[in-house]
Amino acid sequence: MNLLHHIKHKRAKQKRKQPIKRDVFNQICSLVKQYDLKESFLSVLDNVEDDLSGENFKFNRVKLKTPMESSLFSLATKDEYALIMSIIGKVDNAYLKFANSPEEILLCGSLYRLNPSLTNQKLMRYHFETLLLHERAKATNNEPNNKATDVAKP
Amino acid sequence: MWQLLNSDMEFLVESDFIYLPLLLDPEIEKEIQALLRPQRPMDNPGHPVSKTIITHQNRHFVKAFNIHSILENYEVINAYDYKRRRKEFLRKYQLTRAIDGILLDDTLKTILFQVMPYFIRKNRGMCRKKLKDEEILDLIVEKIKIPGKYYKEAKTYRHVEHLKTVLTGLENQKPIIKPPGNGLLSTHQLRDWFHEAVHAKILAKEHDRLTKALQIRLQFSQAKPEHAATLLYIADTGSMEIDGFGFTRKNGYKGEYFVYKRVGEFVLKDYYARSYLFPACRVAVSTYTPFRPFVMEKYKHPFLLRHKSGQEICMQHFAPPNEFTAENAIRIIEEGLTALRYGYNARRRNGYHSLDRTWVYIPTIDFEDYRI
Repeated sequence: MNLLHHIKHKRAKQKRKQPIKRDVFNQICSLVKQYDLKESFLSVLDNVEDDLSGENFKFNRVKLKTPMESSLFSLATKDEYALIMSIIGKVDNAYLKFANSPEEILLCGSLYRLNPSLTNQKLMRYHFETLLLHERAKATNNEPNNKATDVAKP
Repeated sequence: MWQLLNSDMEFLVESDFIYLPLLLDPEIEKEIQALLRPQRPMDNPGHPVSKTIITHQNRHFVKAFNIHSILENYEVINAYDYKRRRKEFLRKYQLTRAIDGILLDDTLKTILFQVMPYFIRKNRGMCRKKLKDEEILDLIVEKIKIPGKYYKEAKTYRHVEHLKTVLTGLENQKPIIKPPGNGLLSTHQLRDWFHEAVHAKILAKEHDRLTKALQIRLQFSQAKPEHAATLLYIADTGSMEIDGFGFTRKNGYKGEYFVYKRVGEFVLKDYYARSYLFPACRVAVSTYTPFRPFVMEKYKHPFLLRHKSGQEICMQHFAPPNEFTAENAIRIIEEGLTALRYGYNARRRNGYHSLDRTWVYIPTIDFEDYRI
């Protein structure tokens, strides 16, 4: 490709319409506004790890992903902005922009720790609780095999 | 803005401008930080620093609108609310709407004293002279029968004492509205101030209107009672017709009129010299744009596109004027009349339709029923 073609191709690429990417700020801002989240949510977010670990973490049924229409460009008041940035700062992982409810924000960290390589399609389609359940089940299924191999090794 | 006034947020007032709390997103925050950096070089050195964003009590506020501008244009911005407040005000001060009705606007004056004399028969015999306003009113009195109630109203119209009393009452109650001081204002404070300011504005406007009404009444108090009655009748009905010339007030448009001239029956000939008799109609011009001649009745003609009412007459090389003046109105009506009666060329078959059916006949508007 000569220089002329290269420049033309580059310009054509620039002119092409770019789809609006899912933005974590917009998503969390929409959630904060829709569910009227307050500062207290941050303390819930801090304690969520304790609740999810061990026996407290029980799922009765598979949840469906809450449909949500987030605005393309969100603007927040000063308090809301501080809360949004705190949530983003605390959770700080790639799954947060797929959270469709406050509950999913809480589960986001655990899910990312269990499996950081979930596809976008899965994250968009399934509730984080379902995915977490799935990942936990996968982990528990693998545990006896691991033990068996450990026993067999020596 | 009304959503804002009904919200529970705080506004900042700074040199007659309302500043709203700045909403944030990461991009805006970056811009704010860059904007409020103390060592930032000025964009326009030599010009005063623009106060688009103000920091007050550790909060950012963004410049939104000028209070006076909103107040000045409130009548247009929120016409419904303004009308409601005005109505309440008029009821409070017992100002009847009759005063509105008796004022003659400039458009009506132009039609009555400048356009009408051109079209009506003013003088008998060979005498040709330009009529004065009073003589025109005399002519109208001669030609039109004015109901008795307008003569009665004309008598009361001459008494200016009541109006004077109302005016002094208004002057005594005139409040002085100061702009709100700089600083934070809650929604209800701003709303209260705004409503008071609108009230004061209405009062000032009504005061001006009444002063004008008083001036006109004082002028007319020296006029003949029959002239005053005629003017009252015209202002009230908004329509009149003399010698085929007339005007009528547009429905729904205050102070706008259709000025028209009647055309009697006329004959046009087609390509084969066959005659077609066209019925009488009214060629009119509106006092509101577009200033083009049109036929008021449901009518068909080679120069009219369809068979319906209110159609503009098709005229080549006609440049419509930009404003309504007596000369323009006369010219437009004259051109419209001439086009209808003499504009059709049978050889060229000009216009939208041809009177006779052409070789390649496309059925559009048919004139066979007019043939004689």
